[in-house]
Amino acid sequence: MSLLHALSEHLQSALASMRANLTAVLSTLTTITLTLLVLGAVLLAGQNLNRTLAGLERQVEVAAFLEPGADGPALLKHAEGMAGVAQAELLSPEQVLAEMTRDYPYTAEAAQLAGNPFPATLRLRVTSVDQTRVVAAAAGMLRGVESVEFGAGYVDQALGTLRTLRAAGGLLIGLLLGGTLFSILNAVQVSMYARRGEINVMRLLGARRSFVQGPHLIEGLLLGLGGAALAGIILLPVAGLLSARAAELVPALPLLQGTGPLLTLWLQLAALGAGVGLLGGWLASGRYLRELE
Amino acid sequence: MIHFDQVSLQYPSTRTLALSRVTTEVARGEFVYLIGHSGAGKSSFMSLLLKRALPTEGEVRVAGEPLNRYRGGRVSVLRRRMGIIFQENMLLPQLTAYQNVAFALRVTEAPRVSSLGTWNERVGTALRLVGLEHKRAALPRQLSQGEQQRVAIARAVVGAPALLLADEPTGNLDPENSRDVLRVLERVNESGTTVLVATHARELVESRRHRTLTLRRGELVRDDAEGGYEL
Ligand SMILES: Nc1ncnc2c1ncn2[C@@H]1O[C@H](COP(=O)(O)OP(=O)(O)O)[C@@H](O)[C@H]1O
Ligand SMILES: [Mg+2]
Repeated sequence: MSLLHALSEHLQSALASMRANLTAVLSTLTTITLTLLVLGAVLLAGQNLNRTLAGLERQVEVAAFLEPGADGPALLKHAEGMAGVAQAELLSPEQVLAEMTRDYPYTAEAAQLAGNPFPATLRLRVTSVDQTRVVAAAAGMLRGVESVEFGAGYVDQALGTLRTLRAAGGLLIGLLLGGTLFSILNAVQVSMYARRGEINVMRLLGARRSFVQGPHLIEGLLLGLGGAALAGIILLPVAGLLSARAAELVPALPLLQGTGPLLTLWLQLAALGAGVGLLGGWLASGRYLRELE
Repeated sequence: MIHFDQVSLQYPSTRTLALSRVTTEVARGEFVYLIGHSGAGKSSFMSLLLKRALPTEGEVRVAGEPLNRYRGGRVSVLRRRMGIIFQENMLLPQLTAYQNVAFALRVTEAPRVSSLGTWNERVGTALRLVGLEHKRAALPRQLSQGEQQRVAIARAVVGAPALLLADEPTGNLDPENSRDVLRVLERVNESGTTVLVATHARELVESRRHRTLTLRRGELVRDDAEGGYEL
């Protein structure tokens, strides 16, 4: 029997068995749709959060104050090559004063009285927030660097929040995928139980395990894909509207925009649904058959 | 065809010793009754052949091959070489007689065309063998118990098994239907298939004599080449 023929036979068998258990199928589909809907929302929120954090990360700086007479250009060259450094800039004392005067106008008066108090400064942009400490420590070790400064409190807080959010998101995603898996396990078990007479006869006649399992793999796949499709149909327009609205209200937020990322999200949901569906169908049917032996 | 060598079977759950040191042989092409009271171990004997149970001691061989070679997925290979019928015919109620027989070919993924003929031809031959070609479109509930059992026999033999196992095949039937079913089993045997019939129906065993193995509380106590019913 050709593969295509076998597949179409399994598909027909799967559809027949789903038709026979329509209530169970619909209830499972509803559960999976809702679960994947939440999952999609979490993924979307996660992506937006990551973008926002990445934007903030790019603004974290380490300032290294140079000793008088230090070889600024050489230190700059060295700093540019350091791990974790995205970008480096050398500011002369005059440039620092000019910046400070712009931000705090009274600085100018103080400088007129006591001379420019600022040393030449290396300003380093880090590649990511968690590199800040490493970069600061490395910069502090350089000869010719007097001292180093960075927003320690801000960086630590950002890092802590980031870690917590990532862990919570991961846990939530795990739970949601687990929920989907259990719905599918349950649905496949119900439908195998409904055709237990047929399955029993099949096994006694010498049907291969995979032949008995095939329709239930497809059943799991269809449930997962169906749930993902429905979740996408609900989530995508809502997410599109919300992000457009948010962009109007707070233009500075670097939110995902446009249909491209949303379609990608839908594909991700579909892949997750299909994967979990196949896994569920395989696990449930395998367990059922083992119990039958 | 079948070899039992000092075979014992103790069910782990209840510790019942269902078979005790059974040694026997059934040659290719034989027709053999397996008789004994209820609980004597007849079904357990069949279960070992089907690998639904594993011997606690001894070795079971079918066609020279020890059954412990059939593991996991290979059990289905073993079962394809055997036809099986039970007291309950286990026909699928929503399928016609024809479809029930074809079901065996479908689920064992038999080639649509082979030296044995097309599916259609093979199902036709099997139904003719059991005398039910004219009822091919009937659903099980439109058939008598005896006819249903004959459809089950057709389903068991359509895959051309070397061995046919029948566990109480007439258990649900009146004497006349029982004789019909037995005649069909003999016809299957005449076509070259080895047939093993577990039964406790005295009239049957006495009316159509064949070699008879007698089990008593799990022990093989008699082996009469001429047949006869004595428990
Ligand atoms: N699956 C099982 N688990 C435990 N004990 C069993 C099982 N099947 C049969 N037995 C026991 O094994 C003995 C033989 O049973 P069985 O082979 O069914 O006899 P028969 O078919 O001759 O009536 C009986 O005592 C029965 O209770
Ligand atoms: Mg029995």
